[in-house]
Amino acid sequence: MAAVVLNKVGKKYPNGFHAIPAVDLEIKDGEFIVLVGPSGCGKSTLLRMVAGLESITDGELTINGTRMNDKEPADRDIAMVFQSYALYPHMTVFGNMAYGLKNRGVDKETIEQKVADVASMLDLSALLERKPRQLSGGQRQRVAMGRAMVRDPQVFLFDEPLSNLDAKLRVQMRVEIRQLQRRLGTTTLYVTHDQVEAMTLADRLVVLNKGNAEQIGSPLELYDRPATPFVAAFIGSPSMNLFAAQLNKKTLTVGNSVEISLNSEHAFNGSVVWGIRPEHLTVCETDADFKIRVKAVESLGAETLIYGEIDGVSEELVLRLSGPHQPEINSYISLQAPQDKWHLFDAETKQRL
Amino acid sequence: MTVTFPHKTLPWLLIAPQLLVTLIFFLWPAGQAVEQAFYQEDPFGLSREYVGLENFIELLQDPSYYNSIAVTFIFSFSVAVSGLVIALILATMADRILRGQMVYQTLLIWPYAVAPALAGVLWWILFDPAQGPIALWLEYIGVDWNHYVNGSDAMILVVIAATWKQISYNFLFFLAGLQAIPRSLIEAAAIDGAGPLRRFWDIVFPLLSPTAFFLLVINIVYAFFETFGVIDATTSGGPGQSTKILVYKVYEDGFVGLDLGGSAAQSVILMMIVGVMTVIQFRFIERKVQY
Amino acid sequence: MIENRPWLTFVSHAVLIIGVIAVALPIWVAAVASTHPAEAFGQGSIPLWFGDYATETWQAVLFNAAGNGVDVPVWKMMLNSLVMALSIAFGKIAISLISAYAIVFFRFPMRSLCFWIIFMTLMLPVEVRILPTYEVVANLNLLNSYTGLALPLIASATATFLFRQAFMSIPGELVEAARMDGAGPVRFFFDILLPLIRTNIAALFVILFIFGWNQYLWPLLITTDDAYYTLVMSIKRMVSVADGAIEWNSIMASTILAMLPPVAVVIGMQKMFVKGLVDSEK
Repeated sequence: MAAVVLNKVGKKYPNGFHAIPAVDLEIKDGEFIVLVGPSGCGKSTLLRMVAGLESITDGELTINGTRMNDKEPADRDIAMVFQSYALYPHMTVFGNMAYGLKNRGVDKETIEQKVADVASMLDLSALLERKPRQLSGGQRQRVAMGRAMVRDPQVFLFDEPLSNLDAKLRVQMRVEIRQLQRRLGTTTLYVTHDQVEAMTLADRLVVLNKGNAEQIGSPLELYDRPATPFVAAFIGSPSMNLFAAQLNKKTLTVGNSVEISLNSEHAFNGSVVWGIRPEHLTVCETDADFKIRVKAVESLGAETLIYGEIDGVSEELVLRLSGPHQPEINSYISLQAPQDKWHLFDAETKQRL
Repeated sequence: MTVTFPHKTLPWLLIAPQLLVTLIFFLWPAGQAVEQAFYQEDPFGLSREYVGLENFIELLQDPSYYNSIAVTFIFSFSVAVSGLVIALILATMADRILRGQMVYQTLLIWPYAVAPALAGVLWWILFDPAQGPIALWLEYIGVDWNHYVNGSDAMILVVIAATWKQISYNFLFFLAGLQAIPRSLIEAAAIDGAGPLRRFWDIVFPLLSPTAFFLLVINIVYAFFETFGVIDATTSGGPGQSTKILVYKVYEDGFVGLDLGGSAAQSVILMMIVGVMTVIQFRFIERKVQY
Repeated sequence: MIENRPWLTFVSHAVLIIGVIAVALPIWVAAVASTHPAEAFGQGSIPLWFGDYATETWQAVLFNAAGNGVDVPVWKMMLNSLVMALSIAFGKIAISLISAYAIVFFRFPMRSLCFWIIFMTLMLPVEVRILPTYEVVANLNLLNSYTGLALPLIASATATFLFRQAFMSIPGELVEAARMDGAGPVRFFFDILLPLIRTNIAALFVILFIFGWNQYLWPLLITTDDAYYTLVMSIKRMVSVADGAIEWNSIMASTILAMLPPVAVVIGMQKMFVKGLVDSEK
């Protein structure tokens, strides 16, 4: 159990490319942190820097107060679950789980005891003599986790561990990982590009964009008060509707057809990004804020997603309604956007207003 | 990018044996060959003098060298073409049949393991003008065969021996190439109304052409350099100069004729030929990898 | 098959059988010849059916001095061939394995220079640098020795390339997992790498064993002492007898013995060999 602190940790490649400018992050003992972002945002690089598989060129990484920058991965007391699982194909499940302990000179009986304990926890006891190729995808995933768990490390690192599983198994393993982590109480750093996975697993999320931590916070904080349009668009599915708009104290103008007068005066005056989540829009008969022309409808049974356009505005809009709805294509729907659900960002600085 | 271990001395220890052997037995001799090519040395190695390009000039004015080049090209071309054609026919047939593929493969690939010199001796006897069953049969149908005196006969003989050994290699590659062609492609062509022969020319052959080109290069390299044993164990370059390929001439001029400078100059030219072929081969392999 | 055309299948089998017969013809004749006494060859054609002199020929060939200027029996030459083939095969595999390991899994100064030096050996087959190589080996006092037979042939760019290829196809995450599990370079090599590429090694062994066993020019040059003659190179000495009284039966028996071990290896390890050969060139 350990606290992990990243103090202005950064990475610059020899060719001058600044993959990670500087990340500050304090992970509390036992916390489950998810690094999330689109592909290429540097989340895997950051995780591998913590693991010791990539060098840290700036800043300092400490685990339990010890500086780790120059330590070998094996000496950091961490364990990692890889995207491809990276199971040793020629070793049995037992061999895979025991290898790290063996290399550390743990005696045979202890190894057998530890592997047996972890195997029963993960439901692998019957599979210990099998080779990885004789296992299903879900079982391999478990073995990869088991290999990390037997070492009883200070920190768990997960690099998109569920991306090779089918959708159903992914949900199941997601729940299992969360339960295991709670039970073991091991500090965990988890990388994913899937925001649903991120939201459901994390105590706190780190949203990365081009190597910068855009926002760090609990899933609901990020959902309710995204700090930037990037976070706003990334968290939540379907994505928040974002429009370029003008705000002048009393009115918000979008394109040339939408003008909404504000309930209370706003201090800001100028170009903004206006955001409203699909689930916060409501259909109305009167007092509409604006109208959309229906372009496509996706009926999912429990809910309906309606894609439309506001005349004269280039950005598309999504509306999420519960239950079945069958509006006709090219018909108009009048909508209200409750002002307490608005998200306003400065168009220049991209910061929340 | 591959993952690496951070170590300074270990890699040097690991690579040292290979480097040492390479330097001592490959690069040093090669360097000496290059050096020697510019000197004229007496056969006993007592004295030598720098002669510049004279060895090369002499070589390029020597009709027997041109003869050797011509012989080498005729030999290599014949070996490569006949080896490829026969192997392709056999591989196509083997790919067609459903049963017994493994048996045929076993019965066809074993000559790969036979040394070129032994292949030479075996065919030498089959064609022996006095006793060889094939020579006698040829005589019976009215062909006068004698590789001891007739240069073309000798050439045909070494081509047969060299090809015989190489068919197995080509066969394996063609069979693998054929088996790698997706079944659905052939089926699509069949549905489009192409018969077996048409399918072979329109679909199979074009898809097989990278393999064929690769084998062509390999076979030429084989015929150039690895057939020394075939020649030495049978014709020894004769009768006259009719089967004296370049590699055999280097050996003979150096070890038998003791013309060290001339032999070295030939070595240098041969190295350049191998260099060019290696580059072609390597480029080809690289291109294939990118697919 | 797409169409069911029995005659095409028949033609395929027929062509293959003709091919098999043509390929086997020399061996047939050799085997038959070895079962007749030497005198049988003086009178016209080589017999095409087995005689009754087999035991005598084979016994004489294996255990008596080969004659025709070769003073050691064939079994002794087979032993020499075996020593040479095994030394070359194991030697090549060993030094290529570790040098490819260095090139793929380490970064060190002049790494690409080393790679190119090794690569250049591809361009320098022994046939084109016969004389100077002979001189080097003579200077090192290695003529007429097993070391001289094997050592100069064990540097091979081909084997290094194959292992490099095999190493590069090993997923990076597997190496990283081993590092996290506390395996250093030596442990990783023995615990993970070798078990993973053991089929490549076996396939390469077949190819290299054949390469070593079939060496002809090199032993011809550096052995003048009968005690170091290898079988393949001696066949030529047996054939080239001046007076013309060639003992075809014993030469054919020796030839069969000379090709038997490599042929047995190829057929015995056929699956592995075929896979290794075809994959190696891809």
